[in-house]
Amino acid sequence: MIRTIIVDDEPPARDILREYLSANDDVEIVAECANGFEAVKAVAEHDPDLLLLDIQMPKLDGFEVLSLLDRSPMVVFVTAHDEYAVRAFEVNALDYLLKPFSEDRLRAVMQKVRQQLLRPRAAAAPLGEALRHKPLQRIVVKGDDGAIQVVPVSRIDYIEAADDAIVIVAGPTKVRKQQAIGDLAAQLDATRFVRIHRSYLLNIDRIDKIEMYAKDSRVAILRDGTKLPVSRSGYATLRELL
Amino acid sequence: MKIKAALYAIGAVTFAAIVSSVLLLSKSNVALSSVVVASIAPSLLLGFIAVASRFLCRVLPIRSTADTQLIAAHGGSAAVASGLWTGAWIASSGALGQAPPDPTPLFVLGLMLYIACVVVQYLVIEVEAAREAEAAALRYQVLAREAELRAFKAQVDPHFLFNSLNAVASLCGTRPNDAREMALRLAEFFRIMLRIGALERITLGEEIDLVTRYLAIEKVRFGDRLRTHISVDDGAASCLVPPLLLQPLVENAVRHGIASVVEGGTIDVNAHLTDGTLRISIDNPADPDRADSHGEGIGLQNAAGRLSAVSDGRARFHAAEDEGRFHVEIELPR
Repeated sequence: MIRTIIVDDEPPARDILREYLSANDDVEIVAECANGFEAVKAVAEHDPDLLLLDIQMPKLDGFEVLSLLDRSPMVVFVTAHDEYAVRAFEVNALDYLLKPFSEDRLRAVMQKVRQQLLRPRAAAAPLGEALRHKPLQRIVVKGDDGAIQVVPVSRIDYIEAADDAIVIVAGPTKVRKQQAIGDLAAQLDATRFVRIHRSYLLNIDRIDKIEMYAKDSRVAILRDGTKLPVSRSGYATLRELL
Repeated sequence: MKIKAALYAIGAVTFAAIVSSVLLLSKSNVALSSVVVASIAPSLLLGFIAVASRFLCRVLPIRSTADTQLIAAHGGSAAVASGLWTGAWIASSGALGQAPPDPTPLFVLGLMLYIACVVVQYLVIEVEAAREAEAAALRYQVLAREAELRAFKAQVDPHFLFNSLNAVASLCGTRPNDAREMALRLAEFFRIMLRIGALERITLGEEIDLVTRYLAIEKVRFGDRLRTHISVDDGAASCLVPPLLLQPLVENAVRHGIASVVEGGTIDVNAHLTDGTLRISIDNPADPDRADSHGEGIGLQNAAGRLSAVSDGRARFHAAEDEGRFHVEIELPR
């Protein structure tokens, strides 16, 4: 059986997928989700073979859902927007269904799914953090307890490297995420987030002033009084931007 | 540039004062040149004061100031200016060792010169105001044209159509009668939108009718997540407004508001006519953590620009977000 999860925030959109799929005897719908949070939870719970995934949804969009999954089911995006096709390709989506779609089109997709299932499971390429065309607008983090936190990039003050993880500081909120600071830096808007130091990525809107600390070493003083070290190359980048 | 104009004006008044006073005072027994020399200082003084009358003219706009006030203010300042001018003349003649001139004709001449200056000042102010108004009208015209163009392009989000058609396709399988109704609603919505979109002005009632139809279609897609409350009083419904003013704003409220919230919420549209001002508000829930949406800002900007263009800048547009609710307010003087 092809264990399938349908994710879409609009009930009629879920209905038509369920209806079309009911003609396939080898498909079992193990869950239907109306938003990104539910989807992340359902995938962890059911470990499906196939995820039929809408993109624009409340809380988490389809790509953010994928970035939070520990397992990688096959993914078929189902959306009215054609502009995400390239990104879908980058996260190794199996196919991209444009709403509205015909039953024939879905049948062809399911044929692809069956072929894919015949191959060894390991061959399924890992999903997860993909290249981004646009800078990230929010960062999603799944905690150890499975709770998901969404941090809009505009609220981030700075990001600090801590061992093999990072700590995202946004006002009073501190969120820990398993990611290399360089990876995240590459996904953020480079004109706004500057790697001022090996261990620090700073939102330059938060800078109050930069002071000499010792010869060849400076500190950035943020509006809230926080002091962060600035390396020589970090200072060069800052000077270019400010 | 302004300083240059003021210097020219002072020069002109000074020259006029020298010529007229020399003509008035020249006698056969005094050398013309010495009268001219004596006239320079008082004439310059009068030139300065007369040009400075511009400030008084600015403070007392001719259209909105009572005649008595105008006569009192300018008469008084003319008397003072002319008094100074006459005094300066007497002092200047004395300093040059000449016989003091007869003050009465000098005083009358000073009065006439000063009053002539005030009249010219008012003329200049009027001409400037007319030119300014013309430029502003032109600016608004251009803005209005641009806004119309943008509004036309952005009339409806194509994804609304695709998603709605997807819902129609979905309903065909399970609830064919609802599918038929949805198709008819879509057709009616587009027909009405194309018709009123081509008009200059429609009543707010017509716009609200369009918005209501739009929301009914979106309710099929969003189900219980989309609730609406529309309240429009009779006076407001008969007000004339540019077409498709609210439609894009309500569309925003659905796309970036309701669609971003798991449990959905209520879109509140209120329109009331009080004291000759049409007040419209749109209020909806929105996830404060939603990814900043580019389209959202553009939609609001378009609406604000368009409103300002059609009302010659008299309308007020205000959009704010607070604790998970998005709020747009429009005030349109009739």
